[in-house]
Amino acid sequence: MTEGCERTAPDRSWVGVAALVVLAVVGAAVLPTLSSARPANEVPVGDVGANATDPTAESWTAVPSVELALASAPSGLPEASNVSVREAQVRTATNGSHVFVRVSWPDATADRNASGLREFADAVAVQLPENESARPPIAMGGTSNRVNVWYWSGTGTTEELLAGGAGTTTSFERSAVDAQAVHEDGEWHVAFTREAEMAGNRTDLSGEQDVDVAVAVWNGSYDERAGRKSVSEWKYLAMGPGPQGPPYETILWTVAGLAILFATVVTIEGVRRTRGEAA
Amino acid sequence: MSTDDAQSEDTHIDIADGVDHQVAMVMDLNKCIGCQTCTVACKTLWTEGGGRDYMYWNNVETKPGDGYPKDWEDSGGGWQSDEHSEREPGEIPAKERYGGDWEFNHSEIMYDGSDEPLRPQNVDPEWGPNWDEDEGAGEYPNSYYFYLPRICNHCTHPSCVEACPRQALYKREEDGIVLVDQERCRGYRYCVEGCPYKKVYYNAAKKKSEKCIFCYPRIEGEGPDDEVHATACAEECPPQLRLVGYLDDEDGPIYKLVEEYEVALPLHPEFETVPNVYYIPPYAPPQHSEDGESIQGVDRIPREYLEELFGDRVNQALDTIERHRDRTRRGEDSELMEILQDKNPAQQYRLEVFDDD
Repeated sequence: MTEGCERTAPDRSWVGVAALVVLAVVGAAVLPTLSSARPANEVPVGDVGANATDPTAESWTAVPSVELALASAPSGLPEASNVSVREAQVRTATNGSHVFVRVSWPDATADRNASGLREFADAVAVQLPENESARPPIAMGGTSNRVNVWYWSGTGTTEELLAGGAGTTTSFERSAVDAQAVHEDGEWHVAFTREAEMAGNRTDLSGEQDVDVAVAVWNGSYDERAGRKSVSEWKYLAMGPGPQGPPYETILWTVAGLAILFATVVTIEGVRRTRGEAA
Repeated sequence: MSTDDAQSEDTHIDIADGVDHQVAMVMDLNKCIGCQTCTVACKTLWTEGGGRDYMYWNNVETKPGDGYPKDWEDSGGGWQSDEHSEREPGEIPAKERYGGDWEFNHSEIMYDGSDEPLRPQNVDPEWGPNWDEDEGAGEYPNSYYFYLPRICNHCTHPSCVEACPRQALYKREEDGIVLVDQERCRGYRYCVEGCPYKKVYYNAAKKKSEKCIFCYPRIEGEGPDDEVHATACAEECPPQLRLVGYLDDEDGPIYKLVEEYEVALPLHPEFETVPNVYYIPPYAPPQHSEDGESIQGVDRIPREYLEELFGDRVNQALDTIERHRDRTRRGEDSELMEILQDKNPAQQYRLEVFDDD
């Protein structure tokens, strides 16, 4: 018995150490995603192999979703603070050549018409800085710091706009943005599509760096239009290769885990030796 | 000192900042026969089809009456005070309150020999422009009404301009005409809400707002004959009740009627937009007794009602007209009566006085 115990004890401890090592490595890979180490303002950019122009496309399910809190935009318009939409879900993806932004928000009625005198259509807009490196004022940018706006209206129109402050939105002669929308189960899902790499007055989304983004939503049947809208704060599309990129993170977590493990084993072994158990 | 006093003591004209001259119109309500020729002239020229069917940039309504659009006087808009800092909230009238763009069976009757009466097809109209024509108010033999032609007032403090979050509406620098820049307009309709006279209209086909342009191509001489013309509503008017010119043309009849004699008054001055269309208030005979005798001193059209439309200054204006009528009856001269009786047609449309500026 005694002999047997003496033989098996080292075996068990090595199994324990091996298990701890495995746990540490697995933990390093899994824990960061479980604990959601994503910064609060980040909108992750998923990878879709194919096309995601259709807001109901299967490929969207693999793209992480971010919930944006919405509030009324500051505006001098009548009833400006009286808005109806409080949150929107945003998913962003790329397939290398194109960028897709899908915005979903609750709205019981699909308002697709502005053909009555008192009728307004639902709408959504995605705002990006014209110059990716500088964050413009949230309310439609500023004169020296303009914004690109991708605008979809329930009437079926998609527009690409340039703005340098409230009330200055101007349509691009030819829109480079397409949008498709569906309204189902009391929710709008609108997917915008644009070529990733662009120059001139258009935000470059080729992945060189993170890019600021904000969204706005209008509920037509609630008389929302113009500055009477629900808007988010600035967020950013995590497009750039930044230091928080996943591979780098995994290595760090693995090294840290192994270091802790090593220190623990050395400490236990040290205590045992001090007590003379190993002798 | 009240504003009224200030105006009577100082004839300085309140023209909007940044505007060189201000177009203006005076309409003598005593001459309007409600024939709607002005309405038709305007419609034929500017608002036929293309989403404009329901629009009447010029309309003539019977007063007392609900007007066009129905109950427009209670639809909000304008300013809270003469400081022009806070606007009064307004509403967009429902389509039914305009009414009127019905399809008629003209061709069936005119070309197909139909015996049907001429009437709107496939609708049962309940309201339309001029719906309450000649109804008026009061009891026989003292019932009364008068006609009120209305166009955009091209206000000095236009609340429609202020209401637009995109500065799509603006007051033209050269003559103060209020226009909607169709390139800037995105159809938000804050201007429709903001105008207390409801003289900005939404074109649902174009998804833009539109309004009276004071016939600016005509007054600029941009028509086929290269001649300067007054607005179509003025020139086509059979009784010629309109004067067209500039408020700051101190030698013209408009200036004299508005600023000197103060007998031409803006409609609903309490909206505080300072209109540039002015009205000579209706001058009605006294009430009659049951046996047909005139009751001296009791107006057929109650002064309270005229005050509602034109403000307190209507009393002074009517008194002035009365005084000058008496003067003419006595065989004395009255410049005011000559202007009102249009004794000098050359003065009626003075549109080229500032051409050398």
